[in-house]
Amino acid sequence: MRGLVTFVFALAPILAQAPPPVVAIRNARIVTVSGPAISKGTVVVRNGLITEVGENVAAPADAWVVDGEGLTVYPGLVDAMGSIGIPEAAPAAGPAGAGGGGGRNAAGALPAPNQAGLPARGPEDRPLTSTWVRAADLVRANERRVEALRNSGFTSAVSFPTSGIFTGQGAVINLAGENGGRMVLDNSAGQFVTLARGGFTAFPGSLMGTLAYIRQVFLDADHYKKAKELYTKAPQGLERPAYDRALEGVLESKRFLMPAVRGYEIDRMIRFAKEMGVPTMFYGLHEGYKAAPLLAKSGSTALVSLKWPEGARDRDPDEVDSMKDLELRENAPSTPAALAKAGVKFALYSDGSENVSRNIRRAIQKGLSTDDALRALTLTPAEIYGVADRIGSIEKGKIANLVVVKGDLFAERPQIQHVFVDGVRYDPPPPAAAAKPEVTQ
Amino acid sequence: MRFVSSLRNVSYSFALALAAACTLGAQVIVIQNANILPVTKPGFKGSVLIENGKIKEMGEKVVVPAGAQVIEANGQYLMPGIIDCHSHIAADAINEGSVSVSSMVGIEDVLNPTDVAIYRGLAGGVTSSNILHGSANAIGGKCTLIKMRWGKSASEMVFEGATPSIKFALGENPKRRGSAGSGPLQGAPGSLRYPATRMGVEDVIRQAFNDAKIYQAKWQEYNAKTAKGEVAIPPRRDLKLEPLVEVLEGKRFVHAHSYRADEILMLLRVADDYGFKIRTLQHVLEGYKVAKEIAAHGAGASTFSDWWAYKIEAFDAIPYNAAILTKKGVLTSINSDSADVTRRLNTEAAKAVKYGGLTETEALALITINPAKQLAVDNRVGSIEVGKDADLVLYDKHPLSSYAVAQKVFVDGNVYFDRMKDIEERGKKELVKKQMIDRSKEQERQQQKKLGPPPAGARRPA
Amino acid sequence: MTRRILFSMAACAATLVAQADKKPVAPAAAGADNSFFLRNVTVHPVTGPEIAGGAVLVKDGKIADVGAKLVAPKGVKVVDGKGLHVWPGMINSATQLGVQEISSIRETVDTGEIGTFNPQLRPLIAVNPESEHIPVTRANGITSAMTMPSSGGGGGPRSAGTSPLIPGHVSLMHLDGWTWEEMEIKRNAALMIQFPTIETRTFNFIEFAPGRTAFTEAKRFYDRRVKELNDYFDQARNYQKAKAAARPDFRIDLAFEAMLPVLDGKLPVIIPAPDERTIKGAIEFIEKQKLKGILANIGRAGTTLELIKAKNIPVIIGESTDLPDQEDDAYDKNYARAADLYKAGIKFSFGTFDTQFARNLPFQAGIAAGYGLPPAEAVKAVTINAAEIWGIAGEYGSIEKGKWADLILTDGDLLEHKTSVKQMWIKGHAVSLENKHTKMYEKYLARP
Repeated sequence: MRGLVTFVFALAPILAQAPPPVVAIRNARIVTVSGPAISKGTVVVRNGLITEVGENVAAPADAWVVDGEGLTVYPGLVDAMGSIGIPEAAPAAGPAGAGGGGGRNAAGALPAPNQAGLPARGPEDRPLTSTWVRAADLVRANERRVEALRNSGFTSAVSFPTSGIFTGQGAVINLAGENGGRMVLDNSAGQFVTLARGGFTAFPGSLMGTLAYIRQVFLDADHYKKAKELYTKAPQGLERPAYDRALEGVLESKRFLMPAVRGYEIDRMIRFAKEMGVPTMFYGLHEGYKAAPLLAKSGSTALVSLKWPEGARDRDPDEVDSMKDLELRENAPSTPAALAKAGVKFALYSDGSENVSRNIRRAIQKGLSTDDALRALTLTPAEIYGVADRIGSIEKGKIANLVVVKGDLFAERPQIQHVFVDGVRYDPPPPAAAAKPEVTQ
Repeated sequence: MRFVSSLRNVSYSFALALAAACTLGAQVIVIQNANILPVTKPGFKGSVLIENGKIKEMGEKVVVPAGAQVIEANGQYLMPGIIDCHSHIAADAINEGSVSVSSMVGIEDVLNPTDVAIYRGLAGGVTSSNILHGSANAIGGKCTLIKMRWGKSASEMVFEGATPSIKFALGENPKRRGSAGSGPLQGAPGSLRYPATRMGVEDVIRQAFNDAKIYQAKWQEYNAKTAKGEVAIPPRRDLKLEPLVEVLEGKRFVHAHSYRADEILMLLRVADDYGFKIRTLQHVLEGYKVAKEIAAHGAGASTFSDWWAYKIEAFDAIPYNAAILTKKGVLTSINSDSADVTRRLNTEAAKAVKYGGLTETEALALITINPAKQLAVDNRVGSIEVGKDADLVLYDKHPLSSYAVAQKVFVDGNVYFDRMKDIEERGKKELVKKQMIDRSKEQERQQQKKLGPPPAGARRPA
Repeated sequence: MTRRILFSMAACAATLVAQADKKPVAPAAAGADNSFFLRNVTVHPVTGPEIAGGAVLVKDGKIADVGAKLVAPKGVKVVDGKGLHVWPGMINSATQLGVQEISSIRETVDTGEIGTFNPQLRPLIAVNPESEHIPVTRANGITSAMTMPSSGGGGGPRSAGTSPLIPGHVSLMHLDGWTWEEMEIKRNAALMIQFPTIETRTFNFIEFAPGRTAFTEAKRFYDRRVKELNDYFDQARNYQKAKAAARPDFRIDLAFEAMLPVLDGKLPVIIPAPDERTIKGAIEFIEKQKLKGILANIGRAGTTLELIKAKNIPVIIGESTDLPDQEDDAYDKNYARAADLYKAGIKFSFGTFDTQFARNLPFQAGIAAGYGLPPAEAVKAVTINAAEIWGIAGEYGSIEKGKWADLILTDGDLLEHKTSVKQMWIKGHAVSLENKHTKMYEKYLARP
């Protein structure tokens, strides 16, 4: 019987167009995140949704039953920021490099409009801006990083276009689906902002220029909104505001994501965001352990990169790193614990790190409780992006995004048995057979 | 273990701890038996009483209030904190070189309070530093005056209440991108940028102010309309032109990088035409040739002690510049333009005694009260006077001596640099660092030994 | 310093414009007026205790007598130095005087030749005696200077083929003369070797951001360069043997010829060595090739001071007023550099390693004295120690009987910034202290 169930399940991804079957996982430990854990209970999944969860839930007659003895069911993990699912997305002009503040030269990424390829001469050329681009239009389930991330327990991700300064509108996606449209949970997750530069010859050519540019864009958006309102009310006698798709994109954005790594950069960007007067979340934050009170005081939302800084590879053995860098490398993983302690709302994102689970464990070794770690990877990102009514916890009526683990999710070698996305089961290959095809039976 | 972890904590914020300790220290300090060089008054041997960061009292004899911290100077020299009128430290970016008018950018956005150059400058007696935008453009970015409050945040370092300012630049630097050159940008599309000549530099400045006047008028018109209750769409706020309107309205100072006499004169005349003042001419290497015109315009001059010949426009630079300008009635300062030279502006000023025979007090004024006046903060700093901020440097010898070494540096009455303490803490700092390196190496070893589960990215089906 | 270079980085195509008018100041070197009696001065012989109210007798350019109780011989011109001090003229141990006028204008720079091995080059023959820098430098009491070719780039893989290993010789010259011949002290004072360094930190000018090279790659390149250098010395020794064999078909090679005094240990090599690895590598190289060595600019010497002392290698300090190059270094690390060498017992002198700041030599020494170097040692470093390092101490570097009268008269301490030089003699000839700067000063001070 069990063999049969497994066999059918294994085919499920291939038959994904068919309605997902009914599944019951029973006798499992269930970590709901939104409520107390259930030490022995049952989760029922039907049509991609969680229909029942509890201690005394019976498996429906039409369900395929998974015996959960020794297994733990968690909500599927949410990768709170990145470009997962967007093919060929440039690596985020992110803040991974210590002290970089985000953003390297992005010359040529987006030629300025009206300039026929000439370098931008100022904010009016809207350099490195594509606010109108939507990740929701770009995501693909077969993008190479999707499966790898899903295999490590992630069922959702928040993806953004990465090129430019105002790179475009993000999307909350599920990490499976027969086409991009099916993956999307929310198509306006927020505007991703980097501190990229236009190179030495094109504006903005410096961090100062980038910040000034962002400031001007927000002012322009404000002005655009006001002008349009006045004009719509009584167009006679007024100059018609010119349509500006860059500003439309800004006005449509619910929130803005801005980078900061070092403590002083966090301070800088908190002040900057406050001045801009737009809802902002900060990402990067490796030196957040120094700025936790500041983040708490400002009521900021934090997205912490799990790609902890490391020493350069193949470096000179005689080279001595600066205390600043050594300290950052040693303490960056203590950021989540510090944020938790200070009461900052934070989520974690994989940031393309080679070993996400090891990096999460490093944060736990530095004092982050497993409950807080789990929350930062499930319910909190769902709340931050306004999709907590659908994902982030194991609750009746929510989307059946689940990860089933033998033992503990944060164990040294987590043994992920099953991953459910929209109620469809995707099993990671067993570690020993990593190189073999996933569907084996 | 306990020992180690407590040391670790010290290391996390050595500077912060030092600064915190200072702030928590006595609010009332008496520095006694010092050779006091007030700069604005004759020197004397006596004491200075500091209360709440200000100089409360000074004189040959000062009654030590109960509970005051007493610093025995033993005849060491106390002078006002040095003010560097031209510096590029403590910032993550200096030049917005892409455009010829970059007035939309500002240093304050990118201050980096963790730049070690701040501490090194402090150790050289500097207590205020004018952080200027670079010289890549005819009209550069906004500048920020900071106090060297090492360990404080960026916003806490900003010299509160100082008049905003902006950088202009003339001559070789702003016209550099007008020639193909031989650098990495040679031949890149759009790498040529107007202007390529000093003629063009003038044009760029005039054009920008014409634009600023139109912008100013638009707002005036809009304000007049709305005052009458009319409905109007407000002009778009333009961050490039706003600072220039402020210049026209006298609300923002202009610090103008300049070398040759011709370009200096050109800028003075442009300013005259548009009805504003150049606050300071920076570098102003040939200022000595047009000292009369500079004095008549009322601009200050902030120059190097003896830099010359590193480019053709610096070939007529002479170390007597500061002396001639001073003698001809120009308010003059000596600056560093360098994280290196800012550490010894005292001896840079001493060169003006050698080259041109300024008195010792005149020489000291070049790095204290004169830059304070140029930056319009002389009501706060620049001399040792009752009521002023207690920004002070204690030197072991006369500050104009080659052999003088700063011992203690005060900002707002707090000791931000203490040479003895610095020397004492070196061993501890080294030990902490060694332990950090060991832990870092151990961490790397561990990671290489047991890499945990293979990286997620590598675990893809074939 | 870096900043300054950055801001004036791009080469300027402008040609050198005509200089402001100047009335000619005749060099003194060839004249006959080189005997005088200087009295009533504080004499600082440097090699002995100072003599208050002393006198110096100069005859035919040489110091004939020094003392407290000298009497002016008949017929000798008397110079009264009341209230003044007389010192030996200072020696700047590293400059580019005469071969570089304006650093950003290539046409005025003759320091960097093409090629990896150029031992046959010597800067003296390219020294422009009319360089404005020479009288400007002289005015601050510097009577002679070493001048050198450029030491080239860092030598990382990216600069392969562009940075020299042997850029040429360095020359020692007086800062006075109608021609470079008259200025000459030693046209070949040492052979300069740009020993390879491993540079993994790079700077990308396009992105205007720091970058990195893999160590493995940089090390491979380093090893290859070190081998290349050793091979060249081996070739030179083969040449030496072939020359000794004196076969009729032996062909003179100018480059190898220039190597011969070095191979024999008659002429030292000078090697800039900015870090521990380079210092160790350079010393190993010196030993292996049995050379006489001088090290320069040993910024990150770390634990190698004992080694340098053990091998008795002198050092030219150029970095004493530079910023510490590591963020965590003590703030006064370079200020205290000279004191560190002094405590380690290493012989050293100072150099400015440039042209426009060559005149600031005494200030470099003075600041070092503020940070722990005994002032008398600081004075020695710019006089007698420099002379010893360059092998001219028998003739220069102190006020002693029999030495050439390279003298300066000051109104105060030699190393104080405020001090003015009142008079200068080179080989007993009075030398003008007038220069472009004094002339421009006088001209514009008088502008109505």
